[in-house]
Amino acid sequence: MTEFVVAAADEVGDGERVVTELKGREIAVFNLDGEYRAYLNWCRHQGGPICEGNLTGTVEATYDRDSGETSLSWSRDGEVLMCPWHGWEYDVTDGDCLSKRSAPLPSYPVEVRDGELVVTL
Amino acid sequence: MATRGEQSPLTTHTVVDADVHLRIPLEDLADYCDEPYRSSIKNPTYTPVNRSGWDRYMGGNITKESLPDAETLNEKVCEGFNVDYPIVNAFPVLASVPESDKAVNMMYAYNDYLVEHYLDHYDHFRGLVSIATQDPEAAAEEIDRMADEDGIVGVYVLNSGAHLPLGNPDFDPVYRAAEDNGLHVAFHASAGAPFARDFPIQDNAIDRFAATHVLAHPWAHMLTLSSLIVNGTFEKFPDLNFTFLEAGVSWVPYMMFRWNKEYGMRRREAPLLERSPEEYIRESCYFASQPIGEPNDPTHLRSIIDLIGTDRLMLATDYPHWDFDHPDALDGHLRRFYEPEDRERVLSGTAGEAFGLDV
Repeated sequence: MTEFVVAAADEVGDGERVVTELKGREIAVFNLDGEYRAYLNWCRHQGGPICEGNLTGTVEATYDRDSGETSLSWSRDGEVLMCPWHGWEYDVTDGDCLSKRSAPLPSYPVEVRDGELVVTL
Repeated sequence: MATRGEQSPLTTHTVVDADVHLRIPLEDLADYCDEPYRSSIKNPTYTPVNRSGWDRYMGGNITKESLPDAETLNEKVCEGFNVDYPIVNAFPVLASVPESDKAVNMMYAYNDYLVEHYLDHYDHFRGLVSIATQDPEAAAEEIDRMADEDGIVGVYVLNSGAHLPLGNPDFDPVYRAAEDNGLHVAFHASAGAPFARDFPIQDNAIDRFAATHVLAHPWAHMLTLSSLIVNGTFEKFPDLNFTFLEAGVSWVPYMMFRWNKEYGMRRREAPLLERSPEEYIRESCYFASQPIGEPNDPTHLRSIIDLIGTDRLMLATDYPHWDFDHPDALDGHLRRFYEPEDRERVLSGTAGEAFGLDV
């Protein structure tokens, strides 16, 4: 286990991310309203630069059996990380893939220590 | 960030990419057209080459890429994906041009543009001559005109919205010209406006692009392949081979076996055939990998490829379109499941054989 300082915490604003290379791996650290998440910049689909994708929302749907109505809603705005290569969607808060349960983004421990973002590999 | 190609296990292998697209701006293409077409293309009152209004880029979240010049193509495809020989097509959607004479003039322009702006710049680039299906005679003459250009290795036929199913005898001059010039024929479909020509009800009634996109390419290929079979095109032009681009491979077993069954029951409706449809498909047809299927169990893809045979399968990326396959996606399967010689066959040997490449 090795710790790496990737940036000063105040350099990464809310909703922003820093992408860096650690031990030959591209790692991104996201600031989510003061909570930090670190992921591998490698989409589980075909290796696209997932962490350089947009933070967006997604469409969710519910089906009411009684009325027979399907309701669509725009949800999780700002929490869905979308791959710029093919559009795979991940929940940026935990790395889960929205279309494939078995394909979460690899994540790494990250913490703020003395004002610096420290990632452990 | 870092070039992802540097880490690829493909760096030490010869790789042919069978499906690389251009997106030539119409205002640039117009300079290669004659009047009165040039002015009408430069000043359209409608979109001369229709594009459908689907949200292909998912609200802008998927990056829209293009290869505006030879240098960019070399950088992104050859250096970025470790492709040694990109087979480039101009990607004209001529079937959507309503005036046949204009489509023919644009056909000349697309081919001249491909040669002048791409094939003339890099010795390792290869290209396909595009044809307008509105006018098979003009298309055949265009094949004759382009066949001796350096780097031209085949004919690109948009088989969505073709003006008749492509085994129709009206197209025989096209196949004769390809065969006479030793050029391979590659079919490529479209999920855009041409899809609506062949399947208007489906195109109008499906209101999500995903469903149209999944269906458009295999349906077009199924229509084309069926038309080649019933018309006996394989028997008429025994030295001609065909590649089917951009529908992957999973549709192929169905067609082999279903056509065997149908032919057995209705042989007299395809009387030129002398062997089973499966034999013609296995001997005269090749299939490009993209979009490679993504079964939940990867061994199922192996089963499909086994069924078709690595000798029929060639790598394709479809770059720069939004649904391109990175070459490593297919190569990962090849390295996992196949012997080195089978892998080499798919990476370069099949396309080399089909398009007659000296690679």
